[in-house]
Amino acid sequence: MMPSVFYEPPQSFKIGDPADFAFGPPTFLADEKIYVFRDREKGFAAASAICTHLGCTVSHFQSDGKFHCPCHGSVFAADGSVIHGPAPRALQWFEVTEARDGQLQIDKDKIVPPSYRLMV
Amino acid sequence: MIGRRLPQLFFALSALALVILIAALWKASTPEWKKYQRQFRALEAQGEPNAVTKAAVLATPPQIHQVMLTGLQRVDRCATCHLGVDDPTMKNAPEPFRYHAGLGPHVPSKFGCTICHGGQGLATEKDAAHGNVQFWQTPILSREYIRASCGRCHKEGDVPDVPELTEGRRLFETQGCRGCHKLNGVGGSIGPDLTEEGANHRSPEWLERHFLAPNAVSAGSAMPNFHFTREQARALTYYMLSLTSEEMGTYYSSLRLIPSPGYGRQLFIERNCIVCHSIGGVGSKSGPDLQGVTKRHSLGWLDEQLVNPQQVYPGSTMPEYDLETNARKALVAYMAKATPEDAQEILSHREKPLSTEEVSIEAGRRDFARFGCAGCHGTELQGGVPNPNAQGGQVPSLLHLSDDYTKDEVIAVIRNGRAAPLDNPKGPTPPLYMPSWKQLLSDEDIHQVVEFLWSKQQKSTESW
Amino acid sequence: MNFARDIWRSIFRRDPLLTDKGKSELVFLNVWLHIHPAKVKTENMRFKHTFYLGFITFFLFVVLVTTGIALMFYYRPYPPHAYQDMKDLEYVVFLGSFLRGMHRWAAHGMVICVFLHMCRVFYTASYKKPRQFNWVIGVLLLLLTLGLSFTGYLLPWDQLAFWAITVGTNIGSYAPIVGGQVREILLGGHSVGEAGLLRFYVLHVAVLPSAVILLTIVHFWRVRKDGGLSRPIWKLKPKKQEELVTIGAPPVTAAVNAVVASPQKTYGLMEVVTGKPIFETISPEEEDEAVFSYPYAFFREAIALLATVVGVMLMSLLFRAPLEELANPAKTPNPAKAPWYFLGLQELVSHSALLGGVVAPTLMVLALLVIPYFDRSPSRRPIDRKWAIWLFTIFVAANLILIVVGTFFRGPGWALVPPWVHVTGAVE
Repeated sequence: MMPSVFYEPPQSFKIGDPADFAFGPPTFLADEKIYVFRDREKGFAAASAICTHLGCTVSHFQSDGKFHCPCHGSVFAADGSVIHGPAPRALQWFEVTEARDGQLQIDKDKIVPPSYRLMV
Repeated sequence: MIGRRLPQLFFALSALALVILIAALWKASTPEWKKYQRQFRALEAQGEPNAVTKAAVLATPPQIHQVMLTGLQRVDRCATCHLGVDDPTMKNAPEPFRYHAGLGPHVPSKFGCTICHGGQGLATEKDAAHGNVQFWQTPILSREYIRASCGRCHKEGDVPDVPELTEGRRLFETQGCRGCHKLNGVGGSIGPDLTEEGANHRSPEWLERHFLAPNAVSAGSAMPNFHFTREQARALTYYMLSLTSEEMGTYYSSLRLIPSPGYGRQLFIERNCIVCHSIGGVGSKSGPDLQGVTKRHSLGWLDEQLVNPQQVYPGSTMPEYDLETNARKALVAYMAKATPEDAQEILSHREKPLSTEEVSIEAGRRDFARFGCAGCHGTELQGGVPNPNAQGGQVPSLLHLSDDYTKDEVIAVIRNGRAAPLDNPKGPTPPLYMPSWKQLLSDEDIHQVVEFLWSKQQKSTESW
Repeated sequence: MNFARDIWRSIFRRDPLLTDKGKSELVFLNVWLHIHPAKVKTENMRFKHTFYLGFITFFLFVVLVTTGIALMFYYRPYPPHAYQDMKDLEYVVFLGSFLRGMHRWAAHGMVICVFLHMCRVFYTASYKKPRQFNWVIGVLLLLLTLGLSFTGYLLPWDQLAFWAITVGTNIGSYAPIVGGQVREILLGGHSVGEAGLLRFYVLHVAVLPSAVILLTIVHFWRVRKDGGLSRPIWKLKPKKQEELVTIGAPPVTAAVNAVVASPQKTYGLMEVVTGKPIFETISPEEEDEAVFSYPYAFFREAIALLATVVGVMLMSLLFRAPLEELANPAKTPNPAKAPWYFLGLQELVSHSALLGGVVAPTLMVLALLVIPYFDRSPSRRPIDRKWAIWLFTIFVAANLILIVVGTFFRGPGWALVPPWVHVTGAVE
């Protein structure tokens, strides 16, 4: 019923060198639909950009640090929790690890709490 | 009981069904393009003296003309109406039948039309085919921007008749765009990656307005206003439109490797070949003379020589040059037609030999431009780009570094990067910051950049 | 010439249609037509009683299967080609645009008509005993129709299709326990992609139509066995109405009406075996109110078929089926809306995911299914069914209002925007 291989972008993938990611505003990866945050003190974190309501792509605004979904107006706080709107669950955070070649690796099958950070 | 009018209703509905069917058939049989084809046949027949051929031409059955370009991943049906595109006798015909002069090797049967012109190749109706409809994101490029498409394939060297591409590329490399924008993997991460900007379906007009006033077009953008002139904005727009990395079949990608001798000459000068080689006796005697070298050696041999000189001549003092395939091809193409007069010109323009120090500073200057430092710190190192909530409110000038820092401290900052210190600790993070360059620049490179910076330091008026 | 006559006679074996026997045999001996009774009561054919909605829904299905099969010759269910094939149908295939239009408008029409048919059956209380299970089959057919429309919606692979199905499958994933799994099996992956397109295609052209055909066969069979189309009771004289208030086999004590067999009639074997007539069969007293199916019933059905086809063709001629830009998973249109028949659901879900997405629709479907078992009173008169009629009307009105709000009153960000206010394009 469920296929053994998926013809879609993989759930676990490398996103590049840590140095390529900006501090401050997160980097949006369009194909994987992920926001990559880089904090000076604490390190890397990856949040899902898929709204938990009906699957639209949320936008992160630097001005208020929150995620806004254009489809039904859900608003998520900086840690992904729902502030407002019909979304039933918080945005998911994915595990970020350092691969053997030094690149950052994200695994969408591994959900981590919002406080998770990877220090490189 | 039985409705009295039912037979009439049945008859009326049947008649209506017939009418609608005929209307649908008629509509399907008389598409726009058939009209154009009839007009074209009439035009063709006009110039035909022989009555039999004339009749045959007029009787040509209407047909959709299609070019299937698997290598370019598209199907173009433009020739269904634009029937005279490859017919020189239609030089003076009215549009859409006019001959397309000046195509050179870009024949429609191999290239189609939309790869250069844009538009919707799959359509067979005028407005839809020209892409001027809702839901088609690449409408036909206007006359002003069409030549930007040349850059989609011809990515190296100068493209003849399209100086805007060269100028756009030059501006990109010198104005410091790479400081914030990545291109082909090199550059900063503050702004979006521009490697595929040409594929983002932005209208040329939007791009040009963006270069003239970024914040007017992208509200809240951290991109400063570079005060480009209209021509510069246009050149940059051309360059942006050319930034695509389309998957192309081998036939097309091999075409892109056609070297341009002009590019080759540029490389010959940049890499200082004249320091060791001569052309027809003009130049240095250290290495072999290069005139007619393509007649003495195969192109493959020459290519290998550029890649790995030691393998061809063990013990040779010719350095290994880090040149891509296209660059090597261009160089070899230049050598095929280089003349002693050319060499003389090159020699006369060479500046006097530089000292090690000067070489260092020159390398540093080139890196400063190439890696986009100028984008934030300014081409004259003056700083001044707004950076909200940073101390000082702007990117700092680099003209007085030596007052506050040692060379080693500056090297450390360039290597590791630095966040902009906050003006108001509770306010938002400033969008611009000093990135870490240790991945892209070697220690040697960073050292040279600092030498360059130090050569530019202005002495403060105050003295301790 | 005998040769030709033999061939003809070997194919068409009935008596000439001028004779009553011939008219009966046209129905009895023909595999396609023998679901009909040889004779029907005239009042069963009244337009205002059923509006022929059942027939129209079925004919729309026939149109959909025919146009659908024609379209299958031109469509490849793989992401890069699917959209290109839609463009080819639009611009290159002879009658392609017309064909595609017919398919799309017939699909919308079928969803609307199946819903109206359900309303008609409810309001005329035609689900009462012994027709309860046929109502249940009807509800299943309604769900299958929605499923067919939903799976078909994805096939053009444009932005409208992609995001409508993204939203639709996400609504479905709210079902407790199984929701997430069912979504992943439907999509063959974690999000809408090429696996999903292929699965939806197979569901749309093979699995769901087969289910519809099988259930339709049962549905029609049961209508016949239940005595044919239910008669409008308010058209009958009061005495007859009273009789119909108590539907069921005549009490055992009633005298059996013995009738002399007529040489002009054909008798079905079942009448002989059980000795008991089928419910609501035409009794000898009602003979003069009954007419042969050929030509009277067939004629009306033909008109219904013609009207349906003409309607669909006209819609297709006048209105082009929409096709937006190629599906782009990286770009969500704002607003992203489910197909219109699910917009009521999306409106509910926008207020509360659990209540709107799971509880409300489940309750609605369950409520529909149990109606005939709840409503035990055998009376079909409106006066005796006030509660039922009120509840159902409120249900219908609520659904309509939700769909209207979702379609016309929701703009970018799902904000409430009256439809007459021009909304400028949303951010990229």
